[in-house]
Amino acid sequence: MDSQLVEARALEAEITALRRACVEPPAPGEDTSRVRKSFREIYQADSEGWELSKDLRSHLGHLESELQFLSTLTGISIRHYSKKTEDLTSTEMTEKSIKKVLQRHRLSGNCHMITFQLEFQLLEIQNEESLSSVITDLSIIMEPTEYSELSEFVSRAEERRDLFMFFRSLHFFVEWCEYRKRTFKRFKGLSLTTPLPPAPSTNLAHFMTVILSWTLAALPSQNPHYEKYPEAVHLSEGASSSCMGIRNPSRPGFELVIVWRIQIDEEGKVLPKLDLLTKVPLQALELDKNGVIETAPLSFRTLLGVLGIEATLESLIKSLHTEASN
Amino acid sequence: MELANTLSQDGESRGGVLAHLERLETQVSRSRKKMEEPQSAQAEESALGTRIHELRRLRDKLRAEVKQHQASVKASTTNVESDQTSEITEQESLKRKRENVKAILQAYRFTGISGKLTSRGACVCISTAFEGNLLGSYFVDLVMRKPLQIHHHSIPVFIPLEEISAKYLQTNVQHFLFTLCEYLNAYSGRKYQADRLQSDFEAFLAGPLQRNSLCNLLSFTYKAEPEGQSFPFCARLLYKDLTTTLPTDVTVTYQGTDALSTTQEEQRAAHENLFFTKPLHQVFTSFARKGDKLDMSLVS
Repeated sequence: MDSQLVEARALEAEITALRRACVEPPAPGEDTSRVRKSFREIYQADSEGWELSKDLRSHLGHLESELQFLSTLTGISIRHYSKKTEDLTSTEMTEKSIKKVLQRHRLSGNCHMITFQLEFQLLEIQNEESLSSVITDLSIIMEPTEYSELSEFVSRAEERRDLFMFFRSLHFFVEWCEYRKRTFKRFKGLSLTTPLPPAPSTNLAHFMTVILSWTLAALPSQNPHYEKYPEAVHLSEGASSSCMGIRNPSRPGFELVIVWRIQIDEEGKVLPKLDLLTKVPLQALELDKNGVIETAPLSFRTLLGVLGIEATLESLIKSLHTEASN
Repeated sequence: MELANTLSQDGESRGGVLAHLERLETQVSRSRKKMEEPQSAQAEESALGTRIHELRRLRDKLRAEVKQHQASVKASTTNVESDQTSEITEQESLKRKRENVKAILQAYRFTGISGKLTSRGACVCISTAFEGNLLGSYFVDLVMRKPLQIHHHSIPVFIPLEEISAKYLQTNVQHFLFTLCEYLNAYSGRKYQADRLQSDFEAFLAGPLQRNSLCNLLSFTYKAEPEGQSFPFCARLLYKDLTTTLPTDVTVTYQGTDALSTTQEEQRAAHENLFFTKPLHQVFTSFARKGDKLDMSLVS
């Protein structure tokens, strides 16, 4: 019985303690509200000032609009960028107050339909008088790779470590490609769908981008007065290719093929190069006493110099077209 | 309880037979009780047992309640914490995004054209470089209005800014900027070459380097071997195309009165060709290297 009494006493004591534990207000609860306050304090103490998510978001929005503006201004869209810095200053250099830093940059984005990925190294040497920055290594990957004119240009840019020339020539190259596509489409009578830029939030940057867009290349082919020749013009490889064929459906066998290449020279200059190829049945060739067909490519070049590209192409199309009706 | 009290007082002995009789009585009653005790004890034990049983039940119940209570407190604490952490993670991710966008805005300078928005438009910065060496930058402050205007700029006066803006500014601002880029980069490159010639190859020059501010007309007298017996040549480089860093016209002449020998003539022609195809300072670097080679041959 004693042991039972002992047990009974022990149980009673435990029960009293448990009862107390149930009734007590949650001590940790107090701590959480205290903790919550200290997080706020941390943010308030932040050197950039009071940062609520709302403020951060609006600042981010403004920055993104600025990015959209720059992208519209240059025609180049940078999507990813990272940088690593390595301090190469030796103790000897520090004594002479010379600082040597190697930066590794990685950059990727696109310019219209061409995407690029760059990695380059920048060596910065700062002495008392001046700062010199030299690109010591450049590697470029571009897509799509079917623009064969570009691969040679890319290796040249890499060799010369000429980053700015790369972007400059890329811009002009793309501009020419777009112009070629628009011209081909215009003659074929295809509609041009220009992708509208995404509508950013209404802010200063957005307003600037809109005004900027007024000063971008006006699309000539939007002119409704231009004539279309859907049957005569043949784009066997699509409007983005370098070839446009001119046929006459009532005169099969005859075809004029205009090859419009876009070349980049040694200095990074982008130039169009147009050639005319003739496809003519053997009989016609025999009948051609004046050798018109033979001299066609040369005449084409001359015409280009006189009328310019669009007018020359139109005159060629018209000439083949009217011959049919004779 | 009375029993217990009485029993505890048992220790005291009283004198005489009466006392003895009382003791015997007590002993009998005690033994009787002892015989009875198991029953009551049992009853008591069973009463206590039940009580313990109930106490145990209550204790277990309370234990469970306290556990639950503690668990709910913990849960609410975790909820508050996770709310805070998700709030923090959101802020963190926004901050990270912002740093990323800021970095990309900075990275635009590597395209050659970068800019900042201003209250009236944009300030565009054009960077120049030659052979990987980053050179000066220039700015053009544009007013975003129709027609687009240049508010002010740092383009040198000898760059045909008016011509370029007349052609492209209103119809194709990208073309305008990249064309300006071309001119500025070419100018920077030519200037760089001329500067390098003056600073690094002074020994090769027989007189001062004559240059214009656009650095597209250079004239100098040089010796292919500074110490040697070679004749001084006069070089005149003209860069008609302002978007190139290589000359369009090169004339290398001999200033002396005697006629040139065949080898000298060959040398002169070779030099002319070099000036056409290589940047100026690189031509002189190759002269220097050739000189080194000759020295080596003399030694051996």
